[in-house]
Amino acid sequence: MATAANATHPIAVVESGSLGRRILALIPGLLLLIAVGYAGKFIEQSIAAYTKSHHIVFPNIEYVLWAIVLGLLIANTVGVPRIFQAGVATYEFWLKAGIVLLGSRFLLGDILHLGGISLLLVAVALTLSLTFMHILGRSFKLKPKLTSLLAVGSSICGVSAIIAAKPAIDADDEDASYAIAAILALGAISLFTFPLIGHSLHLSDKAYGLWAGLAVDNTAEATAAGALYSDAAGKVAVLAKTSRNALIGFVVLAYAIYWASRGQAQTIGNKAQFLWQKFPKFVLGFLLISLLATLGFFTKPQLTSIANLSRWAFLLTFAGVGLRTSFRELGKQGWRPFAVGAIGEVFIALVTLGLVYGADRFLHL
Amino acid sequence: MPEPTVPRRGPSLDIYAVALALILALLVRLNVIPTVKW
Repeated sequence: MATAANATHPIAVVESGSLGRRILALIPGLLLLIAVGYAGKFIEQSIAAYTKSHHIVFPNIEYVLWAIVLGLLIANTVGVPRIFQAGVATYEFWLKAGIVLLGSRFLLGDILHLGGISLLLVAVALTLSLTFMHILGRSFKLKPKLTSLLAVGSSICGVSAIIAAKPAIDADDEDASYAIAAILALGAISLFTFPLIGHSLHLSDKAYGLWAGLAVDNTAEATAAGALYSDAAGKVAVLAKTSRNALIGFVVLAYAIYWASRGQAQTIGNKAQFLWQKFPKFVLGFLLISLLATLGFFTKPQLTSIANLSRWAFLLTFAGVGLRTSFRELGKQGWRPFAVGAIGEVFIALVTLGLVYGADRFLHL
Repeated sequence: MPEPTVPRRGPSLDIYAVALALILALLVRLNVIPTVKW
């Protein structure tokens, strides 16, 4: 293979060289990550500006998707030359730094805004969707870790959750690419279908906003799906989505412990020590930043700056995910991940709709 | 060409990433870094 598999070669070179050589070896690939990531952002902004100026109704395709697609195009056509591979491999570093910084976006107190009923719905929806996705994954004979990524992505908060869970459970790049692609494709579909369903069922702004916040995976798409219904629905969707996002750390933590204990259970004497060794330390960093944000250590503008730093780090990550992914490997996975993602999303949408509909009717949201 | 085996250095990578993130957050807190825009 000319692209993804060979991408590990220069890491060994980088690890064995002097500090100066190691840093120099990273620069070309880092510049490629920045170029691909920024190109994705530029395309998103250009399309948005063009459609707005020409009054064209067109769904926003996020920079995430553009960066991954551009990376995939390069990796699977001209390939990634050796000189770039060490720098491209740093995307996992930016990923982890980005996750820690992302902690600033998840305030524990935000959950309280939605109140007891809403929080209960989040918990019920989360449990049902995680359970259903795992049953579905087993039925379709998906790799367990791919199922975990799809479950986390569809039940917590889309791409961010997949990105957070991937290193924690040591999943393959291809699995993450598949899960992200499935979640993004299904998120785009929800932008068109959710408002139509909401209007046909005459849902209140609050009920619809809660449904969008609970069922649509990516934060941007959830916000957009809510705002497409009404301003009030958009605000509720953001709050519901934030409370869902707040659980990302705990679910990733649970998955990390599950996979660590499952993978080495037979040979490990001191499980506590093993878990500590295997435990992804960035999760602690994520929780620390989240705690500091909750305690008011940062001002609001500072929180915005930290969240933006996280987005820049993720920009490099998404470019790297595309550049390190081989279509040949994806082809081996078959149609099943998309089928599982699609069926799971429909199930989650129906369950959350039922929960919200019931709560709106009987508990008066 | 055979591919060399690359030893995993997960924990150290984690710690460096956490350290960088915390330092950046602290620099933002101390207003050393100007407003970061997206």
